[in-house]
Amino acid sequence: MKDTTLNEIKESFSFILPLVLFTAVFIIVPVIWAMFSSVFRDITFLDKKFIFLGNYKYLLADPGFWQALRFTFCFTLVSVPLEIAFGLVFALVLNEKIPFRGLLRACVLIPWAIPAAISARAWELIYNYNYGLANFLCMKLGVCDAPINWLGTNLGAFMSLIAADTWKTAPFAAIIILAGLQAIPEDLYLQAQVDRAGFFQRFYKITLPLLKPVLVVTLLFRTIDSLRVFDLIYVLTHGGPGGNTTSLSLYGYKYFLMGDFGYGSAVSVVLFIIAFVLAVVYVKVGNFSRGIRI
Amino acid sequence: MPEKYLKPSLIAVSALFMLVFSLVPFIFMVCTSFSKSPDYLMAGNTFRFTLDNYHAVAATKSLHFAEYLRNSLLVSAASAFFCVLIASLAAYSITRLALPGKVFILFFILAASMFPQISMVSYLFKFMTSLGLINTYGALVLPYIAWILPLSLWILVSYFSQIPQELDKAGLVDGCSRWKILYKIIFPVAAPGILSTGLLAFIFAFNEFMFALILTTDQASRTMPVGIALFQGLHGEIPWGNIMAASTFTVIPIVILTVIFQRHIIQGLTSGAVKG
Amino acid sequence: MIKNIIFLFVCLIAIISAGCGRKDKNIITFSVGGAPNEIAVWEKLAVKFEAQSGIKVNVLRQPTDTDQRRQGLITPLKSREEDPDVFLMDVAWLAQFAASGWLEPLEGYSRELGIDPGVFFDRVINLADKYENELVAFPVYIDGGLLYYNKDILFKRGYKNPPKTWDELLKYSLKIQEYERRRNPNFYSFVWQGAQYEGLICNFLEFAGSNGGGIVIKNNKILLNTPENRKALQFMRDIIKKHKISPPNTFTEMKEEEARASFQQGNAAFERNWPYAWALHQSFDSPVKGITGIAPLPCFPGGRSASTLGGWHIGISKYSDSKLNAFKLIDFITSFETQKQFALELGWNPGRKDVYADKDVLKKLPHFSGLRQVFENALPRPNLPYYTQISEIMQRYINAALSGELAPETALGKAQQETRKIFDRYQVK
Repeated sequence: MKDTTLNEIKESFSFILPLVLFTAVFIIVPVIWAMFSSVFRDITFLDKKFIFLGNYKYLLADPGFWQALRFTFCFTLVSVPLEIAFGLVFALVLNEKIPFRGLLRACVLIPWAIPAAISARAWELIYNYNYGLANFLCMKLGVCDAPINWLGTNLGAFMSLIAADTWKTAPFAAIIILAGLQAIPEDLYLQAQVDRAGFFQRFYKITLPLLKPVLVVTLLFRTIDSLRVFDLIYVLTHGGPGGNTTSLSLYGYKYFLMGDFGYGSAVSVVLFIIAFVLAVVYVKVGNFSRGIRI
Repeated sequence: MPEKYLKPSLIAVSALFMLVFSLVPFIFMVCTSFSKSPDYLMAGNTFRFTLDNYHAVAATKSLHFAEYLRNSLLVSAASAFFCVLIASLAAYSITRLALPGKVFILFFILAASMFPQISMVSYLFKFMTSLGLINTYGALVLPYIAWILPLSLWILVSYFSQIPQELDKAGLVDGCSRWKILYKIIFPVAAPGILSTGLLAFIFAFNEFMFALILTTDQASRTMPVGIALFQGLHGEIPWGNIMAASTFTVIPIVILTVIFQRHIIQGLTSGAVKG
Repeated sequence: MIKNIIFLFVCLIAIISAGCGRKDKNIITFSVGGAPNEIAVWEKLAVKFEAQSGIKVNVLRQPTDTDQRRQGLITPLKSREEDPDVFLMDVAWLAQFAASGWLEPLEGYSRELGIDPGVFFDRVINLADKYENELVAFPVYIDGGLLYYNKDILFKRGYKNPPKTWDELLKYSLKIQEYERRRNPNFYSFVWQGAQYEGLICNFLEFAGSNGGGIVIKNNKILLNTPENRKALQFMRDIIKKHKISPPNTFTEMKEEEARASFQQGNAAFERNWPYAWALHQSFDSPVKGITGIAPLPCFPGGRSASTLGGWHIGISKYSDSKLNAFKLIDFITSFETQKQFALELGWNPGRKDVYADKDVLKKLPHFSGLRQVFENALPRPNLPYYTQISEIMQRYINAALSGELAPETALGKAQQETRKIFDRYQVK
């Protein structure tokens, strides 16, 4: 008995070794390095010195930081549920045996397939005041009589970013949820139909509970990605108007560009802490470990 | 409304919404790529069709478009392949084998992936330079594998955990080694999840910008996203036509991949494995 | 099974090793960005240089975006890499590179190779290329803000000369717009750059500078909330919100290209832009060809026309392993022939004064005669290593004032407060 368990552990180590190796070299080490850097005054044109929480004190006192924090939270809180809702609907449709299913799947994947930097440019064109698609459609459909300055007001810029982001990431959620839907055995539904369970009942009682692990994974990863949003904002609004759409990543990026690596690292660490706390919350609330049966 | 009509009509409406949602911006992009100037929607302007943009992108040597596309495809394919391989191995051991500290490992990997890219760029650059890998495929493939691992791992773990352990036990009884079980039994059954993860990994690597910008310096291994950023002019001139044409080019391989692989993704869990 | 895995990993290593670079001491690496046609010119020059001197130049292409170029340079420089040996820098972050000790002093080399800094514009050399009195860069090309005006539209309203003061510009604009709007609802008299980016500060410094204001550093403190600045900012805001002679998307979208396109299509009478726009306005299918005029920007009463200095400069990395060769390249790039070629082929404004008097250049680019004077009086941005951070803060607040979110006084007050903190944090020594 003991032999097999030891063998098993040896085997499992060999299975997991490549992963650990890659993660250690390419993720763990730079993370530790960044954390280390954040307690120094690490500015390219000044002497390096140890300032412990100096960067963090500056951060807490900087209104720019709080503005970025507010925006990042609002952005995540709105875009993530929206993406997952859309993704769920899309996945449900794609799971059905409808004609042209393959082509529909390919179409749905297109937004995700376009590189973020390029789709941001496309949306920049769409929101263009003079000749963008958004204003064109609005006027043609009679929704508004004058062109709207989409990116000109705080709310407008915010909603525009949400729309562009959701467009791009709903397919991602759809693909993951679809894989989870495929994993649900057909027999369960057939059994439920025999038991005369209605359409919505089947959804609530079978689909959703079995999808829970997948939904939590998607939620988790989309939240972490949303907190780090950068490419889209850099191209579309560059943090404007008036700095009101500056995400934490963009905020930190500007300090990195300035050569203030210590402060940039401090911002990254704060971002990390926020993401970590949210992850713990999700997993606890989602009772995840029960769902994945490891 | 009787269910017989409710479900199909809901599906039809949703499918229509999906199409409009996904395609309208994309169709706009494609139209712009065929237009002489991007302001054809402005009052008083008309749409003038031209193939110049595509011609410029494909034929202008100094744009190096073909090389960027080739690099992107190779780097993405390699990253996706190895990432999924490594993640599958790890996911298998987490869901099936006795491993001390499983949950810790899962969390650890997840936590590590929460750092923004910008904070890692300096380190990666130093590391790659010391290995002499700057401006090679390796400079991109290695970080990409590592970067996509957390997501792949979690998806595959949640997927593998749905696969009944009976399949493994059947294999063990027949005297197969763990590797063989993974290869012959689990992979075919988990193919949908694995292929989906591979596709996501591919697309991620294809889209990535920041590492590609810093870790590559010329067309030997530069990728599409950076290449397209290079179209921009000195004072902010954005050649919309060229950019949209290039984007359309880059979307095509992804669409083809999806159409090919989605047939495999269709197979459900119940096809053959349990019954056979 | 295990054999398969090993095989796969060997493949991985193989892929990784594909294209491993080799380091060659006789090649200098030159990092430059730009549009594809500009890069083509650089590559031609590299070939010509190699033919003349035997030194091979490896041109590294970067995107045009100034932030991406900066990041692409900071990363190797911070790691003390030998490559790139020589590179182009935006005048806005030149001081940062100099203060970080990344630039090789050039006085010694120029004395040895006989380059006289006097052939370049004095203000540029003294205020931009020298850091703490050390010469660390040479200008490759420079820029200064100008007023473009549509001669036809002005003439139709009876104006023969461009406005000299902002009030005059406002008066002209209102009259012109009233008329032009009847046939063209998209018409806005005056287009300039007000989006949240560095260009906004360039514009602001011109408005404020022409009123005797700007970014002032006195007694070790940054002064922004001055009456001169307030008046300028109020004017900038009024022309968008109150008088409406500038389009509503000025503070969201208007950058160089948007302004240029607007003017070029006849949707504006006045445009503030860099000299590059001239060539495009004169291109064969431009609706404003032949009717575009250039003038110095207007000023406030009692002030003088101000033009913000822009441009890109060339320097040598302190960690370069072939500094002499790199300097020879600089010598080549800043030579009369090469600078003339830049002017003729790309319409760039050289850093050398003598090119502006050359016959061929004046024939193709007649506006160069007026430009020389503009550049001699151009205002550089503060030569601080952390200038871009100050600019960031100002961009945010000035943009907020333009959008109507904050009053100019509040905006400048808050900007001053925050930039003072930056000052305290980053003040060298």
